[in-house]
Amino acid sequence: MTDLLVALLAAFAVWTGWRVFRVDSMVRASFSLMLSFVAVGGIGVLLSAPYIGIATVFMMAVEMMVMAIFMVMFMMNPAGLNPMSMVHQHRISIGAGLLAALALGAAVLLSPLPSNPVLSEADVVAELGHELLGPSMLIFETAGVALLATMLGAVILSSRQGRFGNSDEGSRPPGLTPEGEPAGRKPEGGGGHHHHGGHG
Amino acid sequence: MTALLALAVLGTLALGAVFAVAMDGRIAQLAAGFARQRIETEAPDRLNRDLAAVWYLALAAAGLSVVPFAPGLALIDSPVGIVIWGTCEALTIITVFLHGWSSNAPFPLIGAYRYVAIGLPVMLPSMFVLIAAALPAESLSLPAIVESQRGMWNVIRQPLGLPLFAIVVLTLTLRGPMDFADAADIATGTSAEESGAARGLWEIARAAMLVSASALAATLFLGGPLGPVLPGPVWLWIKTAALMAIFAWLGRRVARTTPSRMLTILWIVLLPLSFLHLAMAGVFAL
Repeated sequence: MTDLLVALLAAFAVWTGWRVFRVDSMVRASFSLMLSFVAVGGIGVLLSAPYIGIATVFMMAVEMMVMAIFMVMFMMNPAGLNPMSMVHQHRISIGAGLLAALALGAAVLLSPLPSNPVLSEADVVAELGHELLGPSMLIFETAGVALLATMLGAVILSSRQGRFGNSDEGSRPPGLTPEGEPAGRKPEGGGGHHHHGGHG
Repeated sequence: MTALLALAVLGTLALGAVFAVAMDGRIAQLAAGFARQRIETEAPDRLNRDLAAVWYLALAAAGLSVVPFAPGLALIDSPVGIVIWGTCEALTIITVFLHGWSSNAPFPLIGAYRYVAIGLPVMLPSMFVLIAAALPAESLSLPAIVESQRGMWNVIRQPLGLPLFAIVVLTLTLRGPMDFADAADIATGTSAEESGAARGLWEIARAAMLVSASALAATLFLGGPLGPVLPGPVWLWIKTAALMAIFAWLGRRVARTTPSRMLTILWIVLLPLSFLHLAMAGVFAL
């Protein structure tokens, strides 16, 4: 029964992972990826790792929500409902995908996987906590500080206010057509481009 | 016993939702809604438009299923019950977002993005409140958290917990000061392009989430099913109903501010407050 569930969840994870590249919207892609991780989290629960499994779902839910917003922002895809392609640089990505799949597949098939059933009375959540705050404390805390530094860096980089004035001063949004008028906000002060009458 | 607990979860959800709608004085409005025709928007995301309310309802049910109805008796008696509830919270934000996003129309979309901007920072105090409640029990399991409150309820030894959690509940149920999704100022936001049975189901799911979140608040802070004379489930129902009334009253009485100001309040005031709350709970638990 557990084997069947693991197989079904694995198949669902692969299918939703494939959907990420086949759907036509950043929002759909993000949440397809989330469903893939939800399935992986389910497998974690079935493998007697309830905390890691459920926490995966929780973290991925928050993360994919953030990612959907950022991707819609950066892709200039209004609201994430405009059709767009999820794939680019076909030749390189096919090569990289094949290489990664072969390498990971080989790693799984060639490494001796331990058969170490968890005792039903084992308190796996407490053991995980002792491991994380004991022998693995250094790795855990290093990762935490690195992530915090990344977040601070991202906030500082994306801040409009800066030491030398506003970061978007004099910048011009890309045109709707090559060399054309930008959509939405018009640049201040002209910037050398003439406004030919009519609407953009 | 499992069947009985499943029945208790579903019954509590159904009766509680009716109670929530009645408290808002909207039974007639809701019933009339089911007779109305459905609105179609151009090129919606049909899957999410049709299923958002179902997911909302499912998340309310999943959240309630980890709540113990009697000491030591929960439908899903997981060692990480409180993490399951946290996951339901995070997925609720996504569900509300998809509800607004899927109809492909301006007001629902504004509601969706606005709600996410507020909902994600609300998740942070929520996690600290949940962790603080788990500290005295030294366990992430909800039955253990109930047991840890035999001597003293968490509402007394963690005084900031329930007020902070109230903000989370109001956010999850799209109520009053935290209703940045379906508010009147953007023509009912994520529900603006919805009518008929779909709208009705969304409202029912919102009411069900109030039941679920209030039951969890009762478990975390008011000792859940613990109490003298009366059996456990009755105590849980009484406490849940009382909290539902308080949350509904707060939703009606507290004014909503602008999203930008609410963001400042969340990051500058409530997040440090939740740090303080966790530190106090930790010192007390030691």
